[in-house]
Amino acid sequence: MAANGDGFSNASMENLTCHVEKRPISTIVFIVAMQKEAQPLIERLRLVKDVNSPFPKEVAWVLFKGMYKDLNINIVCPGKDSALGVDSVCTVPASLVTYASIQALQPDLIINAGTAGGFKAKGASICDVYIVSSSAFHDRRIPVPVLDLYGVGMRKAFPTPNLIKELNLKVGRLSTGDSMDMSPHDKESITANDATVKDMEGAAVAYVADIFKVPTILIKGVTDIVDGNKPTSEEFLENLAAVTAQLDESITKVIDFISGKCLSDL
Amino acid sequence: MGPHGDGDIENVESESRRRPISTVVFVIAMQAEAQPLVNKFGLSETSDSPLGKGLPWVLYHGLHKDLRIYVVCPGKDAASGIARIDSVGTVPASLITFASIQALQPDILINAGTCGAFKVKGANIGDVFLVSDVVFHDRRIPIPMFDLYGVGLRQAFSTPNLLKELNLKIGRLSTGDSLDMSTQDESLIIANDATLKDMEGAAVAYVAELLKVPVIFLKAVTDLIDGDKPTAEEFLQNLAVVTSALEETATKVINFIHGKTLSDL
Repeated sequence: MAANGDGFSNASMENLTCHVEKRPISTIVFIVAMQKEAQPLIERLRLVKDVNSPFPKEVAWVLFKGMYKDLNINIVCPGKDSALGVDSVCTVPASLVTYASIQALQPDLIINAGTAGGFKAKGASICDVYIVSSSAFHDRRIPVPVLDLYGVGMRKAFPTPNLIKELNLKVGRLSTGDSMDMSPHDKESITANDATVKDMEGAAVAYVADIFKVPTILIKGVTDIVDGNKPTSEEFLENLAAVTAQLDESITKVIDFISGKCLSDL
Repeated sequence: MGPHGDGDIENVESESRRRPISTVVFVIAMQAEAQPLVNKFGLSETSDSPLGKGLPWVLYHGLHKDLRIYVVCPGKDAASGIARIDSVGTVPASLITFASIQALQPDILINAGTCGAFKVKGANIGDVFLVSDVVFHDRRIPIPMFDLYGVGLRQAFSTPNLLKELNLKIGRLSTGDSLDMSTQDESLIIANDATLKDMEGAAVAYVAELLKVPVIFLKAVTDLIDGDKPTAEEFLQNLAVVTSALEETATKVINFIHGKTLSDL
């Protein structure tokens, strides 16, 4: 890493970025839509709910934090909807907590972890855990040139070739939409996105992280087969516990892999 | 949508509702929708980034008599490069609503913009509607309670005097991230009895309710959903004329608000 004394030239900016990428990762923020999805991990890492929440007092967002090896681990969930008591799923709450977490916690790395539907035609099975190669939206159709691409919002995840190889993880594209079901229009867009997994937050987390240039990886556990016979919500509820346990195992391996490494080692 | 928490918070809130409104924040998705209003009130673009550095979000500010007016826009999408398209849709709208409430502490939010509307519900191109309440039509979650959460029905802050004085039409707004309308979207919009269709409203309402800030919506009709013309075409054709009508109504609203408390509205 050569010293460069000439201010903000392109060369020195590149050196600066390399410098950041060559420092060991120290703060990770997990964005998890449903606390249930994170509970095993919270318990295993003995993370503690932060009572001095860095978030506005009016919101139900929850932060669990703790040290694990040399890592500051934070798990942020949007919490329960105050009127209806259900987890605040979907893209809007996920993007808000991602934004607020970046401001408050300044992570080196964001990990969006959670459950997803999978397409068996693309090789997905229940309990598979995928590392996402890229994410896109399937329910933001704007049929005007350039706005159409904006709507789809395809973004590559931070590349982690060594992680994928070492942990022997499956890799696939993620398609995000605010609905749990899949309309014919959604299906068309999901197919155009060439997605293997389908969720309700990923592409929004990626969008917000991209504004602030925070490296992001997305890890999704398959709870239901979208192109299978069972109704989605039924299959999802049936498999949630088992998949959450599997996710916990995989994420722990991911964290162990990350510990002591720089972004460029991933 | 009443205040939670102890008596102290309730007292502060009702007290602030008895003070004249002093800070208004307009949340507007497209530069084109905002420009006439920015010009009319001579608002300047803020240079010191109160919303944060390195963001594409644009903030205008100015003083009108003794009312502090802000207009916040999500700005241009960085990935669209020289095409410079506005960051429309629910996600950017929710972010700028959140950030501007935190930074600017408005007494009232106004989400102003264009929309599609049903002529069968009495709408015409160029109408500017006040919104009664707002729902999402593209967040379908078929699990009990989650289904209601997805729809996210919320009331706008009630402004009967404003409605009467300005003689505005009023209707329910349905929000979704698509400019077009699938058959699925259409059934839900009709089932929800919406008059108006946009791409941000329900998200702004969500954040406003989260942070307990009163919000109203002014939506100007650029296209008729149950008309003959394709949406995108009609929208682009009518944009200029309609944003001018929107500015006229927004100006009347600002002048009506000036000197009043929230409960006077």
